[in-house]
Amino acid sequence: MIDIKDIRDTARDMLTKGEARAVIGYRRGSRGMLAEPAFITNLEQADELVWDPTCFHNLSLYLVEDRKFLAHLRKTANAPIAIVAKGCDARSIVVLMQEHYFKREDVYIIGVSCEGTGVVDERKLAPLLNGAHATSAAFDGDDFVFTTAEGEKRLPAREVMADRCLECRNPFPKEHNAVFGEDKTGRQLAEPFAALTRFEAQGNSARWDIWSRHFDRCIRCFACRSVCPMCYCDECVVDSISFPVTAETTAEDKANRIRWIERSAVRSENITYLMTRAMHLAGRCTDCGECERACPVNVPIRLLNNKMEREAREKFGYEPGASIGGSSLVASFLDSDPGDFIR
Amino acid sequence: MSKKRTGVFVCHCGTNIAATVDVAKVAKEMAGENTVAFTQEYVYMCSEPGQESVVQAIKDNKLDSVVVTCCSPNLHEKTFRDNAQRAGINNFTVEIANIREQCSWVHKDKAKGTEKAIKISRSVVRRVNRNKPMDAIAVPVTRRAMVIGGGIAGIQAAIDIGNAGIEVILVEKQATIGGRMLQLSETFPTLDCAQCVMSPKMVEVNRHPKVKVMTYSEVQEVAGSVGNFRVKVFKRSTFVDPDKCKLCDECTEVCPVVVPNEYEHGLTARRAIYIPYAQAIPASFTLDEDACLGLNPVVCGKCKDVCETGAIDYDIRSQTVTEDVGAIVVATGFDLYDQANIPELGGGKIEDVLDGLQFERLCSASGATHGHVLRPSDHKEPKDVVFIQCVGSRDPAKHCAYCSKICCMYTAKHARLYKKHCPDGRAYIFYIDIRSGGKGYEEFVQRTMEDDDTLYLRGRVSRLYRHNGKVRVHGTDTLTGQNVEIDADMVVLALAMVPSKGTAEIAKTLKIGRDKDLFLAEAHPKLRPVESITGGIYLAGAAQAPKDIPETVAQAGAAAAKVIALLSQATLSRSPLIAKVRRSHCTGCGMCVEACPFIAIRLEGGKAIVNEALCEGCGSCSATCLRAAIDVKNVTQLQVYEMIEACLA
Repeated sequence: MIDIKDIRDTARDMLTKGEARAVIGYRRGSRGMLAEPAFITNLEQADELVWDPTCFHNLSLYLVEDRKFLAHLRKTANAPIAIVAKGCDARSIVVLMQEHYFKREDVYIIGVSCEGTGVVDERKLAPLLNGAHATSAAFDGDDFVFTTAEGEKRLPAREVMADRCLECRNPFPKEHNAVFGEDKTGRQLAEPFAALTRFEAQGNSARWDIWSRHFDRCIRCFACRSVCPMCYCDECVVDSISFPVTAETTAEDKANRIRWIERSAVRSENITYLMTRAMHLAGRCTDCGECERACPVNVPIRLLNNKMEREAREKFGYEPGASIGGSSLVASFLDSDPGDFIR
Repeated sequence: MSKKRTGVFVCHCGTNIAATVDVAKVAKEMAGENTVAFTQEYVYMCSEPGQESVVQAIKDNKLDSVVVTCCSPNLHEKTFRDNAQRAGINNFTVEIANIREQCSWVHKDKAKGTEKAIKISRSVVRRVNRNKPMDAIAVPVTRRAMVIGGGIAGIQAAIDIGNAGIEVILVEKQATIGGRMLQLSETFPTLDCAQCVMSPKMVEVNRHPKVKVMTYSEVQEVAGSVGNFRVKVFKRSTFVDPDKCKLCDECTEVCPVVVPNEYEHGLTARRAIYIPYAQAIPASFTLDEDACLGLNPVVCGKCKDVCETGAIDYDIRSQTVTEDVGAIVVATGFDLYDQANIPELGGGKIEDVLDGLQFERLCSASGATHGHVLRPSDHKEPKDVVFIQCVGSRDPAKHCAYCSKICCMYTAKHARLYKKHCPDGRAYIFYIDIRSGGKGYEEFVQRTMEDDDTLYLRGRVSRLYRHNGKVRVHGTDTLTGQNVEIDADMVVLALAMVPSKGTAEIAKTLKIGRDKDLFLAEAHPKLRPVESITGGIYLAGAAQAPKDIPETVAQAGAAAAKVIALLSQATLSRSPLIAKVRRSHCTGCGMCVEACPFIAIRLEGGKAIVNEALCEGCGSCSATCLRAAIDVKNVTQLQVYEMIEACLA
């Protein structure tokens, strides 16, 4: 069990010694039990830090935001930034470092192990609370304990956990500067890619029917893109609106910008968007599941990303976020790579 | 930018295209394109009149760009680009739309074929619309060559290149040059002694003022491209100074280590310090570091103590040498197919079952038995010898699909050599067919059958095993339909030729392809048989395909001629179609750096930078970049986008 005091002490210590200019963590949100991302810069705020089953955000997104913000202000960082990271979040940070987005020494990773559980899926929890409103959530061994107006409600974690956490193979942040909680790597709550396997068990036409419905329903709000730490490009290839104009942008660039997709949120354009995103995340997505959680119309985006992740794992033995110096999936080539698709 | 004036020239290619594509319709459709100012169709665009009409049309119609819809750009892109230059316009505004290989040859339905040809042509017209005029990049040429492999192919190539006054570095992995040919006894069809014809060549190449021979050396790393390669060669230490070594042989007499002699294919043993053959070049002993007790005077040091001239020095280190060359000839030769793959014929474990090269060493005067054919198990003269052809060859189900080409001939030669050594013996040959195409080859085989009374049995052998001190051969004679059982004193297998060990590595190092049988791939099976697919790298000898000595020598000469032609130019023109980074979009993730097979991209100040001298324009970087931040010139994102749009419209 992680004692929140340890995380708070570490944050306070880092800030006191000036070893971090800020600590990115979680604090109690304004809405019910949910935690929210927090940017802690002074000692008093350190006591606001929390660690509970609602800490689902992948905070590495804010490392990207921080870099962009500094670039915007034309400033350089004077000290590293500290961040609370779960297993999946830490792997995201590794991928970002692999892509030279920032250096290892720029980030102080306060790892938190999900131990035997993970984070809660609100959509699974709501029916089990019978309409009651939870005001807080806490880890307790293999259970989650929720506080509601009618008192405490104890539920086995695996009944209300997010699918991605059930399927998680590495709940421990291997890359870290400090780490709290037990390393339970190898804990197997569900088969890896269980949701994908279940989905693929259906026939092609049934799957196409389901996807057609989802592609029709996608409103292209880009919440999935906004919440994804890997979607850090200044200009998104599918986006003809946010064209960045910098000192290096030529008149020709401006004139010749390509509209890979139309603005209207119709099936064909939505497919292009979601498929392009899946391809661009191949070998980079660490399955933090934030895209699917953030989706306001419940498009099962994880299935797309999981499909790529499984292909990469089975065909190329590739695990995203395994090492900072490792080669990347799409840019590397080995003689042992399968070539049976070339005829 | 004013509107382009593109000319579209549609080729019938006789009926190659016209039979499946309505060429008139393609021309008519292209005339409707906004930027097209002129269209024409012709039966053979690549013919002299066809080419002239293109030149004339460019001049008459003030065309600034050209699309030729015809065969693959591999064939005639250069032809039409040269024509454009002749007509006074930039050659990089000419593009080929491939409606033959990519359309007419692979389709049957004319209506659909025409529709596809129109889409292909339209997409290229749109692409050309955004092509920029460009000038070829002139790069100076390094007037030196490297030959990898010191067998007959490599030696011949090195001599020929050297004779043209060009410096050559001949790199050989083994301790001596000479390769496989030096291991042979006599050669078909004239039965002249292999070493007698080989050693003058070896001496010539070694003494050649323009050739530097590096034995016991391996190519480690190759950077650069045609005209300018930088090669790192790892030169292993022999721990013997060749200038001081007097070949007195006293070191081998005191060396306590005995290992199988790879130069005799394990028929004899050698010491840790050894010389491969009497004719070895360089004429010097080699200390095998792996076999030696440790290069340590405290442990042994006997060879060093006994060496009067002080040639042996345990402190000579292996070194890596960097050589700049403009062209490379790869002549890495062959190995025999591994007997272990053929358990029914003993898998290499039955005594007195030899492979062809072992038999050569038995017949060779310099071999283990000093030229007497004696069977290894008891050193007695074998009286019944069975030769089996096509072992591992022509067997797509289990082994190699191809014909190893030389086995028919060398098996006939083996039978003759055997009869010469043992006139009272009997030779049997199991064969599938006799393939004796070649000058004097058929006559040679006939003489083997008639003069030497060799029994040719048409059929395969199903099993070999030891039986009463002999090797029992179970086979079939398909001409009589009877099973044959022979108790042989010795069996010789004509094993398939396979690319030499290390071919995979060298192909990877040089970035040249291999074919389905894992031999080095030529650029075109008929028209470019000595060129690899990588510019400036040429192939010679059995590394490219099974072949005999005359063919090997001919190919080596051809490769040398290519090298000489290449290096006769003061500068080479390089394609300007190379990668270009859009700095505004680059995030410096480094994926292109990793993807580039030519090590042409590096990160500097958080952005990718392309080394123009190394970039080959392959587009791997562009395909990898998630941010569309790197493009190949004249194949930009925008062009690709517009081509896709043209195809989907």
